[in-house]
Amino acid sequence: MRPMDLPLTANVVAQQAAIEIKDLTLSFTAGTPTIDRVSLTVPHGQFLSIVGPSGCGKTTMLNLLAGLIHVPHSGTVRIQGREPRLGDHGIAYMLARDSLLPWRTTLENAAYGMEVRGVAAEQRRERARDLLVRVGLGGFEKSYPKQLSHGMRQRCALARTFALDSPILLMDEPFGALDAQTKLQLEELLVDLWQEERRTVVFITHDLGEAIAISDRVVVMGARPGRIVTDVEIPIKRPRSVRELQKDHVYHELYAHIWEMLEQGYKK
Amino acid sequence: MNVSGAQGWKKLAMGFASHAGFLAVLLATWEWAARMGLLDPTFFGNPAGIISFLWANFVLGIQLWIELGWSVMSTLIAFISGSLAAVLTGLIFVIFPRLERFLDPYFSALNALPRIALAPLFILWFGLGIGSKIAMGFTLTFFIVLSSTVAGMRGINQDHIVLTDTLGASPRQKFFLVTLPGAIPVIFSGLRLGLIYALLGVIAGEILAAEHGLGQQLAYLASTFNMNGVMALLVVLAWLGMAATSGMTRLEHHLLRWQ
Repeated sequence: MRPMDLPLTANVVAQQAAIEIKDLTLSFTAGTPTIDRVSLTVPHGQFLSIVGPSGCGKTTMLNLLAGLIHVPHSGTVRIQGREPRLGDHGIAYMLARDSLLPWRTTLENAAYGMEVRGVAAEQRRERARDLLVRVGLGGFEKSYPKQLSHGMRQRCALARTFALDSPILLMDEPFGALDAQTKLQLEELLVDLWQEERRTVVFITHDLGEAIAISDRVVVMGARPGRIVTDVEIPIKRPRSVRELQKDHVYHELYAHIWEMLEQGYKK
Repeated sequence: MNVSGAQGWKKLAMGFASHAGFLAVLLATWEWAARMGLLDPTFFGNPAGIISFLWANFVLGIQLWIELGWSVMSTLIAFISGSLAAVLTGLIFVIFPRLERFLDPYFSALNALPRIALAPLFILWFGLGIGSKIAMGFTLTFFIVLSSTVAGMRGINQDHIVLTDTLGASPRQKFFLVTLPGAIPVIFSGLRLGLIYALLGVIAGEILAAEHGLGQQLAYLASTFNMNGVMALLVVLAWLGMAATSGMTRLEHHLLRWQ
């Protein structure tokens, strides 16, 4: 993209983390803070999931990283060494709902992010077409969102997200509204896409099983005040298959282990 | 709607035949009642007279085509200028909600005013020509399209806005890629109504005082007790209104085929 910048960027990248949160405290109203003294460093290329009950501030933290909300807070938040800024091209954001534009075809939706960010028409069409094939929507390029199932729509949203060349992906419960079977397929797809080009991911979910299956590291947060209860590296090797993991005893042991820590955290 | 196969065609033909039969019975009864002196042709006309009027003025002569042309031209100018002004005003209202809140009582009062009451003023200001007719159609179209534009732009899916913001869109991109296309279905329902009301405003203006147009012809024929002519023009106006509506529906199906 920018050959002149590359050596310099590579140099800086080696030193700093992709995301750095230090002593973040934030409250919307007086009283119990929504987020209480949270520190979190995410190295480049890590797939991190944040799990927690509703009200633990996980989505607030993600929105803060994306620059979507501006609330007074103490502590520092840095993305690639910079202050969070809405519309930062370094970030690709994925919402809980697919948010496909109903008047655009699947191909046009997959290319939407690139279009807004000024990628040339020919180039973005080619990249969108390629991604649609990878997410299993080849042949549906000309369909409109209303003609697609929920799972297919979220596949298209995944294509739109991965079509961007942003090194950081922020995902806010993207599979929360899907049925169990579809969810498993989409998790598998996300892991496949991510394993091909390892970007930094912050994935918000309330599903611990999902978090363990797809992540390198799981951070569990507790609610009121929102703070980190436990922070665990997931030692399951890559590449992995989410479906195969359902039968893996290491996966189930990890699940039981983190669940136990989680319950202890809530008691405190 | 898709009518396919022999079954579909049969249904369509049946529908057509039953309407043709109904109209034939109705017109025959009317004609018979007129000839028997049960329905006074001085006030109601008679089908044979109406048909011969249409034949004389639309097939043998072209005078009524010219009057129709005047009405259609005034309606289109009123509709297009009224809609454009409404969409632009709606856009300004959405960008500056405080301006809308401030102007709301004035706009509500203008909108509540029976618009026909403005006609004498418009005739004084814009004369007997098409200017006053366009002004009448314009005021009716403007308020209808304005309210649907504001409603459409306010009703934009917030997820689309959030996504577009995180992509770093400029205000201009946000308007053309999200706000405008997202508001079009609601704007369109306003446009469809606006076109009918533009026609209403123009015809009403022509009836009151004009040099040309179907409304002016209608008023003239009524004042000279040419009931066959009046009835014939009512048929033409009904047809014109239906043509306008079906044209809008076609355009809508084409533009909003994603719905």
